[in-house]
Amino acid sequence: MSFEGKLALVTGSGRGIGRATALKLASLGCDIIVNYFRRRETAESTAKDIQALGVRAEVVKANVGDPAKIDEMFDTIANRFGYLDILISNAASGVGRPIMDVDVKAWDWTMDINAKAFLLCVQRAVQLMEGRAGTVVSISSLGSRFVWPTYAAVGVSKAALEALTRYLAIEMIPKGIRVNAVSASAVNTEALQFYIREGYVKDSKQTTPAGRMVTPEDVANVVAFLCSEEAFMIRGQTIVVDGGTSVAPFIPGGQEQA
Amino acid sequence: MSVEEQIRDIVSRIAHVDKGIITRESTFKDMKADSLDIVQALVAVEEAFDIEIPDEEAQKFQNFGDFVSYVESRAAKKDEA
Repeated sequence: MSFEGKLALVTGSGRGIGRATALKLASLGCDIIVNYFRRRETAESTAKDIQALGVRAEVVKANVGDPAKIDEMFDTIANRFGYLDILISNAASGVGRPIMDVDVKAWDWTMDINAKAFLLCVQRAVQLMEGRAGTVVSISSLGSRFVWPTYAAVGVSKAALEALTRYLAIEMIPKGIRVNAVSASAVNTEALQFYIREGYVKDSKQTTPAGRMVTPEDVANVVAFLCSEEAFMIRGQTIVVDGGTSVAPFIPGGQEQA
Repeated sequence: MSVEEQIRDIVSRIAHVDKGIITRESTFKDMKADSLDIVQALVAVEEAFDIEIPDEEAQKFQNFGDFVSYVESRAAKKDEA
């Protein structure tokens, strides 16, 4: 698998799954645009680690919840590079509240960043992918199909993201662009710490048949595969990376492995 | 417009609260600002003053005055640079 000479935009790649994905693609020769929202320091640290792998890295700030900022980000990419091969729509946010406490502002904030941003980023990315056999991967979560406490707004936004992935996969075929999603269970990131602190998530090791928590690198490996030519015939799918949790909810974690 | 007035405008717009009731002693609770209002206010202030406010710093703000003082000190440092 090689992405030499290609350019990827990974939204929200200062930390967590976005950072791991950016580093994975970079390790396979891909130049990376590191997008961040509020923490320049973490984005610059990702960029430095990418450059150490011998490829190009550029840092671009943008709140993807704001359509004008998405436009500014893509204007910057168009001016600096003029092309794009891979879009990873990873940036996410959300308001963790019971449904009765989800007001218009909380709903809009979550949907804007997690779902609407995907639509707007793809619309701009496609223009830069012309004639380049581009790939798009959105990062979802098992909360789109399963119910977790206080996760309603985020879960619904991720369901929208997955549905949009399917529609895009078909509508983008004439443009030679492949679109898929990767959905993970609780991944060991900073974002998860919130749910652990609040007592909503226990140590997932105990509930993951594969015996350990899913890491950002586990997700990044699948994203990279979906971006490769080897995944050519996979279209509009949501690939689940959860160590078996969703197919065996009643089987405790830590099964013995041969 | 002073830094304080600009931040008061932003907080009042985001939390839908009358500017008149926001004093330096007002807590976020007094301003009826929930956690999302606070994040949105931080984002808006960061953009207005072209600074970054780390969450660890924001968590230390006890009231509106702390928020203003922090932004004033950051904005001053930026001017010196």
